[in-house]
Amino acid sequence: MFGYEFYVDPSRCIGCRSCLQACEECATHRGKSMINFDFIERKESISSAAYVCWHCDEPTCAQVCPADAIKKGEDGIVHSSLKPRCIACNNCVLACPFGIPKMMIPEQQMMKCDMCYDRTSIGKRPMCATVCPSQALSYVRPEEIAYRREKPTNIFYFGSQKITTKVYMMAPAEREAIALDVVDYMWEENHDLVATRE
Amino acid sequence: MPTSNDLPPQTRGLTAIAGAMSLIVILLIVQIWLLSAALESFLSGKLHTALPAAVFSGVMFLICLGLYAFVDRIDSEVRGSGNGR
Amino acid sequence: MTWLRRGSSEPLWKEEFPVRTADERYVTRRQLTKFLVLTSLGMFVGNIWILIRSIFYKAPIYGHQPVAQLGEIPVGGVKLFSYPSKDDHCILIRTAEDEYVGYSQKCTHLSCAVYYSQAENRLECPCHKGFFSIKDGAVLQGPPSWPLPRIVLEARGEQLVAIEVKG
Repeated sequence: MFGYEFYVDPSRCIGCRSCLQACEECATHRGKSMINFDFIERKESISSAAYVCWHCDEPTCAQVCPADAIKKGEDGIVHSSLKPRCIACNNCVLACPFGIPKMMIPEQQMMKCDMCYDRTSIGKRPMCATVCPSQALSYVRPEEIAYRREKPTNIFYFGSQKITTKVYMMAPAEREAIALDVVDYMWEENHDLVATRE
Repeated sequence: MPTSNDLPPQTRGLTAIAGAMSLIVILLIVQIWLLSAALESFLSGKLHTALPAAVFSGVMFLICLGLYAFVDRIDSEVRGSGNGR
Repeated sequence: MTWLRRGSSEPLWKEEFPVRTADERYVTRRQLTKFLVLTSLGMFVGNIWILIRSIFYKAPIYGHQPVAQLGEIPVGGVKLFSYPSKDDHCILIRTAEDEYVGYSQKCTHLSCAVYYSQAENRLECPCHKGFFSIKDGAVLQGPPSWPLPRIVLEARGEQLVAIEVKG
């Protein structure tokens, strides 16, 4: 919208958690951040990654919702569940391949990143992209992202399922799509917990 | 000069559907009048009006059906183009 | 109405509950259009029903009922009677020595009772000044749209018998 796109580059994340703090300030979910913050191989490194909702073109969460509560707007933003309809069944939480939706138990509603719709709909940047010091989360025009060495991609393969998203992931230049095979990431018994969520 | 073809297909589809629906409503109003006029003339003993009234009512219903098929076609066309994103 | 749906790859439930808000507006409009076309079908069926009834319409058979004796009323006089049922009020007028006419008393405008005006030699309705001709019940003036139904009379011996209603 307004010519801007959202780009996520986990390799730039320094783990400062500014995005978490900024997201928490939104009035609709004050105190609970909608950013998905991961540590990668915490036992061996301090690497971290912050993700927002990927706003898929064919959102899996919306397709599995039994109450028709998740809607995608004309600008491509997938919104949090509609409060009158959401029955807190957690179907979307289980279905999302990226693990983005959060179930807010006290409110009995699924909430997730909606690209700070109150800001982006009038041409402002989302809070997380505004405060990220390393611009791991950035909301810029495609011309500006072209300066980077990594190239944006918005095609993901989960096994044989192809998912295209609105939010771009920065990936090595020769990679056209990001393929993830879940079996690769299953650990055997003698591994400690390798990734935690905040 | 910007024309209606420059609008996104979804807005054009909605305009076409709105046009078709208003035509259907007008036909419906005419059909209501025709039905009441046919009933009145039948009750007053003029039996010869029943056949032409039924024929014209049928013609108008078929036009409504055609307009509905048009609405359905526009709908699936626009849905198809929107999903290509 | 599956035969009306264009060949669509999406299952029906996906089309009726779309994820995109823009498509939701289409569903509502399409459903309303369907309903309007159904109403149009209902009107057409109503007209067909009228057509069927008009094909099978049988003219009513009237009984014969004596209403007066010849000479009972003077020339220019009237007599009220009920024909064919006791709720159908009628008026008998002797217009000349050997001429009698009978009409339904219900004005064809709003059913007020008409009376015979000797001075004007016509049937008049007091409610809205509707006037009917004494010869054939045609409307001379006023709001009535149809003529007064005429009672066909037959002289049988000394009796005046009503045999049918015309109009």
